[in-house]
Amino acid sequence: MQKTIDISKQLKQTRRRENIAGYLFMAPSLLFFAGFVIFPMGMCLFTSMFDYTMTNFDFVGFSNYYELFRDPTFGKSLINTIIIVVASVPTVCLFSLWVGSIIYKLKDIHTSFFRCIFYLPVVTGSVAVTVVWKWMFNPYYGLLNYVFKGLGIISTNMNWLGNMDTALWCIILILFTTSVGQPIVLYVSALSNVDHSLVEAAEVDGATNMQVFWRIKWPQIMPTTLYILVITTINSFQCFALIQLLTSGGPNYATSTIMYYIYYEAFKLSRYGYGSAMGVILAIIIALFSAVQFRLAKSDQ
Amino acid sequence: MKKLLAVLLTLMMVLSMSTLAMAEAATEITLWTYPIGGWGNEETVNGIIANFNAVHPEIKVTVQYLDYASGDDQVTTAIEAGTTPDIIMEGPERLVTNWGAAGKMLDVSDLWTEEALADIGATSQAVVAACKTADGKYYEYPLCMTTHCMIIDRAAFEAADAMQYIDEETHTWTTEGFENALRALAAAGNPVTGIVYCGGQGGDQGTRALAMNLYSAKFTNEDHTAYTMNSEAGVKGIQKLADLVTEGVLTADPSIVAGDEIALFCNGTAKMSFCWNASAAASNKTSIAEGIEPFPMAFPSEDGVPELCGGIWGFGLFNNGDDAKAAAAKTFIQFVSDDKTQGPASVYATGFFPVRSSFGDIYAGTEKADNADYAIFMPYLGDYYNVTSGWATQRTEWWNMLQRVFAGGDVTTEVNAYVDASNASITK
Repeated sequence: MQKTIDISKQLKQTRRRENIAGYLFMAPSLLFFAGFVIFPMGMCLFTSMFDYTMTNFDFVGFSNYYELFRDPTFGKSLINTIIIVVASVPTVCLFSLWVGSIIYKLKDIHTSFFRCIFYLPVVTGSVAVTVVWKWMFNPYYGLLNYVFKGLGIISTNMNWLGNMDTALWCIILILFTTSVGQPIVLYVSALSNVDHSLVEAAEVDGATNMQVFWRIKWPQIMPTTLYILVITTINSFQCFALIQLLTSGGPNYATSTIMYYIYYEAFKLSRYGYGSAMGVILAIIIALFSAVQFRLAKSDQ
Repeated sequence: MKKLLAVLLTLMMVLSMSTLAMAEAATEITLWTYPIGGWGNEETVNGIIANFNAVHPEIKVTVQYLDYASGDDQVTTAIEAGTTPDIIMEGPERLVTNWGAAGKMLDVSDLWTEEALADIGATSQAVVAACKTADGKYYEYPLCMTTHCMIIDRAAFEAADAMQYIDEETHTWTTEGFENALRALAAAGNPVTGIVYCGGQGGDQGTRALAMNLYSAKFTNEDHTAYTMNSEAGVKGIQKLADLVTEGVLTADPSIVAGDEIALFCNGTAKMSFCWNASAAASNKTSIAEGIEPFPMAFPSEDGVPELCGGIWGFGLFNNGDDAKAAAAKTFIQFVSDDKTQGPASVYATGFFPVRSSFGDIYAGTEKADNADYAIFMPYLGDYYNVTSGWATQRTEWWNMLQRVFAGGDVTTEVNAYVDASNASITK
């Protein structure tokens, strides 16, 4: 009897020690997460209630939010952001799924080659990518004008980034090229992990390629798709560097996004409270979009 | 007991040694500088600091180099984080109007001795006025100044027979002459004559000076409390630019910034640049393509007498609550700005002109002798209106207004919207 009690005590002690060790292992990342994510989020929410500038720190309640919804530039930035998300997320997902489903069947060496090619813009510095694109869009000697004129699509040079009708689409195009790399790699990996015995069984039963894809592969790659949808949505909402480096939100706010407008208000005009209020709204919008995506994906599963 | 004594003894020795070391240590100060000519070059600045340390070895200066694209953000972040440098080098629009007025800077009135006031005032009273706020506190001690101008490709102008519209002796021209020159250049087969860039990010002084001077408009009122480009002359100037763009003899480009426009002049694409000065001439000397003959010009005005925008650069001190560091920082500023040998050398590094009249012609007989050519514009130095409150908002509104105008917007409506938005920011 005494022996059983001792063993039970020892087990408890071991479990406690393991628990402590577990918490200690988690502590650095938890501290990092709390310090660099939770605390700034709380601060953002807090300062959004203040007229916080270089000289003021006065409580104003929801005034910043009230001003926000009457600010036409915020409205324009919100619309631009939504256009970017709506245009880029489905195209990135569909394109990467299409490319992924082609290259995963190739020989290993070819798959690796294409993975590298598509992943290259992801690992290339955003400034370098932007400089190259800026050169391509240059209205005086840019490659795009040269090619389009050669093909007879345009007769005179276009100012792609200086035209209010084309500037945002140029940004979306660049965002697309820099966003597809990771989803392609993820899809290649997910498609390679699909249970081939099920695919073979379906093919033996006479299922078409389409039926095999929708009935067998699609459900199995759904978690990957969901992940890609969420990260692409968040990245699209947070599109900033491209705009800062290429257009500064212009011409006439045609490429201004919420992220860029937050930066402009907070760092150019030192209106930290107002910028924080925009940050809160952006976080809410991203959370809503992600929740809808999760719900849709769940119902699909 | 012995062990305890040994530990105590060791501790005491360590403490006394570190106290001694601290007493002997140099006062460390930090300097943040924007790329004001050679002051953005590490080698040049290290040379200046070495000269300073030869006289003041007790002060150690650490330098951080800012650029105009992200420098303001870095300073804003530092202000909020409480990590501002001791000294910052830039112009009154930042040091006085922005950070000084916000109470982040130290009053440097003690640097403005009677001798300094007289010497700098003899060059320009506008410089003295720009360095202080309305309540008389000085937040900047200036080192150098310049007038912003434009540059043309003399070879292209000669080929188009457009030099006839220019007064080559005074480097000035009239609005009518400017128009005729643009038409002549276009007729001679130059698809890009000049580019009114409006992509933001600085260099806006060029487009401002161009629009203002065409019909001698005032950018702000006299006491710098309101933006006034919606005056008849202001609207007329911007309308003229819009008309020239519509006519096809001038280009408007919302996709490029001043740096791009300068590059397009240097590579021969554009035949003039609206963003030029003595320092730009020095820094772009090697990048100008063969066959281009740079010829500095004042901005065109109806009567041929321009009012040029000035640039003033100098030092300010952030209020970091450390008197010893503030004193050391002032010693540094006095050395680099006022010393009879180092002062002119510090100005020489910028490529601009000294604010102190006693320094005389610092470029005579040097490899930068060409810079003296730009001294011809100094008499045209206009009001330093950059110190008007709401400057940051005004700059963004300015290029947005130009973008709307060149996209076909009604000039009067857009200029009024710009002035309203800029004036509204004055009270914020």
